[in-house]
Amino acid sequence: MSFLINMISGALVLVGLTFFLAAAVGVIRFPDFYTRMHAAGKGDTLSTILILLGIAVFTAGNFSVDNLLIAVKIMAIAVFIMLTSPTSTHALMQAGYDDGIKPFEKEKEDEIETEEKPTA
Amino acid sequence: MKPMKLAALLTVIATGGLLLYATSDLPDWGDPLSPANAGDLSTHYIQDSRDDTEVPNLVTAVLADYRGYDTMFETVVIFVAGLGILSILGQGKRVEPLAEPVASEGNRERDMITITTCRLVVPIIQIFALYVIAHGHYSPGGGFQGGVMLGASFILIALTSGLPDALKRMSQERAIFLAGLGVLIYAGTGLLCMALGRNFLDYEILHKVLGGTGVKARYDSMLIVEIGVAFTVMAIMFIIYAVLSSKGRMRGGL
Amino acid sequence: MGLFFTFVGIGLFALMLPILYRLIVGPTAIDRIVAVNVIGTKTAVLLVIVGVIFKQVGMFVDFALAYALLNFIGSLAAARYFHRVRQDREASSIKAPTTT
Repeated sequence: MSFLINMISGALVLVGLTFFLAAAVGVIRFPDFYTRMHAAGKGDTLSTILILLGIAVFTAGNFSVDNLLIAVKIMAIAVFIMLTSPTSTHALMQAGYDDGIKPFEKEKEDEIETEEKPTA
Repeated sequence: MKPMKLAALLTVIATGGLLLYATSDLPDWGDPLSPANAGDLSTHYIQDSRDDTEVPNLVTAVLADYRGYDTMFETVVIFVAGLGILSILGQGKRVEPLAEPVASEGNRERDMITITTCRLVVPIIQIFALYVIAHGHYSPGGGFQGGVMLGASFILIALTSGLPDALKRMSQERAIFLAGLGVLIYAGTGLLCMALGRNFLDYEILHKVLGGTGVKARYDSMLIVEIGVAFTVMAIMFIIYAVLSSKGRMRGGL
Repeated sequence: MGLFFTFVGIGLFALMLPILYRLIVGPTAIDRIVAVNVIGTKTAVLLVIVGVIFKQVGMFVDFALAYALLNFIGSLAAARYFHRVRQDREASSIKAPTTT
């Protein structure tokens, strides 16, 4: 039983870490602010929820009232982050949009490259 | 500019290196024989605080009971800091909250998503803050931390729904009143001890008022002074934000 | 299982470094704010993991929740401040273009 719980918890945490890896790669590699925001917002929220869920399963696996209460608290953090992280992402995106940050466009990038190549 | 930056960098590195070198003289982390842990005072706190106050969290017992003067004047410092910011930046005359938002004051249309989340989250924050204040006897927490979170919940209202909306809930007058009330609760507890014939902030005598034994009175009065601290910290946190974000005009805001 | 969570914590920290890169390099100010927000959220998770490693989860969960709350308010305030600075700059450039 405890082996099964450890396996479930470990799998959830590892999947969460994988999503965070994707978010980190996205934050580094994506070309403009909006796409980076997309990677950061979605990957960060999902990986946080999965890792916290894994820890909650691990904590609740010891079956006592205290541990169950702690697991509920960890889930409360997950729910809180699920509510707030997209909201702050939205607020930041709005601020960036109002600031006039231009979205990345593939064709324009190519044009700029071809225009710049002769001069450079 | 460049040589100055280099000189500053060298100074910082030299100072940091000296500080790192000095840490080698410090006792090891958690060393039971270090002067801070093995002194008579610490031994007394560690061994007797449970019998003296019934509080499992040693930090709270030291903070609110043994070193009550220290904490009281920390609260006063926060109170005075808030008053100082108000007297420098605030306007002397009474500021009427605006009924209608004025476009030139930086009010723009409010974002529905953030407002809805704020409505969901602010009660959670406030309940958690009350838990932190009340649970300070058993887990890390207490008046300062809970007060900061309560103040942060009002700041969140001001951030999402605008400063006028937050000032409707916590006006400048009310905030100053609550800040003063917090200090009054703390100092009043101490004065009550004096009135009953003990030293200032010697809670044990309060069992005549609160009932129970002297040990239980110390336990209860710690919660009372934590609540006082929370009032002051909450009000001053919010008032500092309100004054700084609106450049003292108490309207517009961030 | 404690060792497993130690490695998970180290992994989380290692994955924060690329985001730290975005925080330092980030072409716009708002990129940096996003990076701070992500690192803050992950710090809350890291606090829970530290609690598991020290077998003190009940204590560290409170820290993590408080940290998550303040991180949310912080990033929201940063977004608003960014917006406000921009607005003020525009307003001042419309009113008095010669002063800037």
